[in-house]
Amino acid sequence: MARHPLNRRTFLASTLGAGAALTLPYPQGSALAQSRRATLRHVTGGAVNTLDPTMLGSTRESFGLSMNVYDRLMTFGSRPIGAFATFDPTHLQGELAESCEISADQRNLTLHLRDNAVWHDGTPVTAEDIKWSLDRCVSANSLARPQFSSGSLTTPDQFRIAGERTIEISLPKPDRLAMANLAMPYAIMVNSRLARQHATSDDPWAQQWLQHNTAAGGAFRVENFKPGVNVTLTRHDGWHGGVAPFFERIISQTVPEATTRAGLIERGDADIVIDLEAYDIMALSRRGKVHIDSVVESNCFTHLAFNTQSAPFNNVLVRRAIALALPYQDLFAASIFGRGKPLYGADWSGQSPAPDFPQPLPFSQNVQKAREMLAKAGHPDGFHTTFSYATSQTTTAEPMAALIQEALGHIGITVRIDKLPDAQFNTMQARRQLDFYTDTAAGWIEHAYYFFYLYFTRDQRWNFSNWNSPHMVELVEKARFETDEAAYVAECQAMLDLLVNQVPLILLWQPNMDAVTVPDLTGFTYQYYRQVDFRTLARS
Amino acid sequence: MSAEKHLLPPLVRRIGLRLGAALPALFCVILFTFIMMRVLPGDPAVYFASGPNAGQAEIQELRHKMGLDAPMPVQLLHYLENLATGDLGRSLTTGQSVAQDMHERLPASLELTLTALAFSLLISLPLGLTAAWWSGSKYDQFVRAFCSACFCIPPFVSGILLVYVFYYWLGVAPDPTGRINIFLPQPPRLTGLLLIDSALAGDWTAWHEAAGQLVLPAMTMALFVIAPLTRMTRAAVISVLGADYIRTARAMGLPTWRIMIVYTLRNALMPVLTTVGIVFSTMMGANVLVEKIFSWPGVASYALDALVSSDYAPVQGFILLMACLFILVNLVIDLLLGVLDPRVSVE
Repeated sequence: MARHPLNRRTFLASTLGAGAALTLPYPQGSALAQSRRATLRHVTGGAVNTLDPTMLGSTRESFGLSMNVYDRLMTFGSRPIGAFATFDPTHLQGELAESCEISADQRNLTLHLRDNAVWHDGTPVTAEDIKWSLDRCVSANSLARPQFSSGSLTTPDQFRIAGERTIEISLPKPDRLAMANLAMPYAIMVNSRLARQHATSDDPWAQQWLQHNTAAGGAFRVENFKPGVNVTLTRHDGWHGGVAPFFERIISQTVPEATTRAGLIERGDADIVIDLEAYDIMALSRRGKVHIDSVVESNCFTHLAFNTQSAPFNNVLVRRAIALALPYQDLFAASIFGRGKPLYGADWSGQSPAPDFPQPLPFSQNVQKAREMLAKAGHPDGFHTTFSYATSQTTTAEPMAALIQEALGHIGITVRIDKLPDAQFNTMQARRQLDFYTDTAAGWIEHAYYFFYLYFTRDQRWNFSNWNSPHMVELVEKARFETDEAAYVAECQAMLDLLVNQVPLILLWQPNMDAVTVPDLTGFTYQYYRQVDFRTLARS
Repeated sequence: MSAEKHLLPPLVRRIGLRLGAALPALFCVILFTFIMMRVLPGDPAVYFASGPNAGQAEIQELRHKMGLDAPMPVQLLHYLENLATGDLGRSLTTGQSVAQDMHERLPASLELTLTALAFSLLISLPLGLTAAWWSGSKYDQFVRAFCSACFCIPPFVSGILLVYVFYYWLGVAPDPTGRINIFLPQPPRLTGLLLIDSALAGDWTAWHEAAGQLVLPAMTMALFVIAPLTRMTRAAVISVLGADYIRTARAMGLPTWRIMIVYTLRNALMPVLTTVGIVFSTMMGANVLVEKIFSWPGVASYALDALVSSDYAPVQGFILLMACLFILVNLVIDLLLGVLDPRVSVE
């Protein structure tokens, strides 16, 4: 009888054989080809999903990466805080542009490009490239378009080539955010000759191609990109947009488990991580094997938002009662272990506040007053409501929710806690289906008016409390085009007063960013986009 | 030679029949996941159009781009149409086509699961066999306790524990991030299974690195399935030990090892193999926590990320892939059962 090639005996033998092969010992100390010292390994829980930060759906990690790969015309300067630095929102300087002149009527910006600026492929940066890139920002269907509109940059006619290395930007009105918008992560300057080769009639701005390829001229070039897994960068030695980076090679790797990231840093296998959990940071700092740079995220705020368009939170007295009932200090301690800056408990008596936002507001706990306020609002016996938060916020929001539930229970409000998956939370937030919830926001341009424009006006998702105040809209519109500095300050103060008076949302605190690094790493800079700027890092 | 001719057509016919019978099930899976994803609360357009200043217009634009503004039956038709051409849609999470993501990630999951399965078989077959041989003894009790302990510890606990002990504390394991040391170049891709690719390329450094990275996650997964496999082996072996031919073999004074391996284990393998099929399919889909802990770029963690952000295409693609794998694995197991016991292949 002919035998079947695979019989019992061979099957068993091959299975056992394969198993045995896998149990061979792991060799220690295998030689690594790359020079470890000149390589930076960054680990993060997030993931880069596109190389073009303007793509709809791009992640924060994608913005961060693009800041190292693409140049913008302008950039924010930095100022030192102790051993590290933070971005300076008041100081804009050239990156790809060498200088920028503003006309007397503040309606024309003239930008002069650097002489020695080259793209990654070695070709010189021309005014045509810049014109094309700016046109792309306002024409292509992307995240850049709405961002640029906040600086009154809306049509290609506003950008004019005024010389081989000169670009002129005209504004319909003097807009205080026009120049800052040129420094935003979305304002990438693209090698247009290269990008155009990959443009099609359906996709004139090469958006498809640029998702997985780059046409850039920044400090680093992309060597290898595996979406959701890792990105490898190598230094671009022809870069002159700032001080030449120390590291020759950057590996940015996605490591979803926070505890694993903490372990990697502590054992010295990774060099920098900025998204660890608070309890890991406390433990790391106790053991003292790593270096921790803690900086308050100055353009960021955690808050409690109400839906101000539906009962009971459409009643300002109810909102005020809740603002009086909250145990701010306990929330701050339990939720983020006090690692941040409180945005409550300010004393404004007898003086106007500085025209800044976010800043501490004059709210503090007073349960007796809260009860009276609630009675005045027509709810002497309280009411039932739901407090929601997103799953990704669990570590901070869970203790917060419990404390809020308890505190509001004291004034008769029964709170049900609803923890929602992120996509569901975001959808309900955008559809105005959340009555009372917590979230954290970060504005990229640290101008008080910009924050009010973004978070307290218009029917859009970032108007967290769905607030509709004609007075606020009027103030924001005025401040936006205000050229008189004193008037601008007065308008910002009026906005702050209105916020405190109407309590559309309650500011809680600004969390810290904790950059945990190996001890020999220096030069960390906190950036407003809350990602690692690889260009400033070095090994001592 | 003539026997082979008779053997082949029924085998091919069996495979064809089995695959054909699976088609309606596959269609149901497609329909079910399609509807389920859309019934779940969470709008992918809102989740992804989330840059600062992105408003209603951007959300609408994204909905249109994704085809979500069409009625559901139309969306389903489009989806089926695309499926027919092998297009599984695009992932917003990675910005790539789902087919490409699967192509890159499936080998990672397969390699991990197969290794874990090999580990668990290496441990549970001898354990089950010996426990049955000396059933009722202290040793048997010990094996039972060991299995219960393994089964009680969920993989995310044992995974973190193993990482803590072997990487963080003892420092003998490589860092638990991915399939190969990040500083090493990957071997050229042929099969996507790093052990095979690096062996084919003759790159033994990469082979050892990849094998080293596999040990902890595979052990984590193996620990969890040791219990069902061991118990199943033990039960099967006990039932075989009572058979006449074993008594005969003993009476004829055959050496113990021969009775154990050749006459007992071989005949007890049938139910074990069936369990292996089920265990393998479960491991493929359920190893998401292990993939997360070890930053393993596999399909399960990919699908979970997509699910959290309501990214429809990857989740649908993943479930479809799992359904296909399940069908294939069952088919392969069936054919192997035929190899072990020729009676099975008689229809």
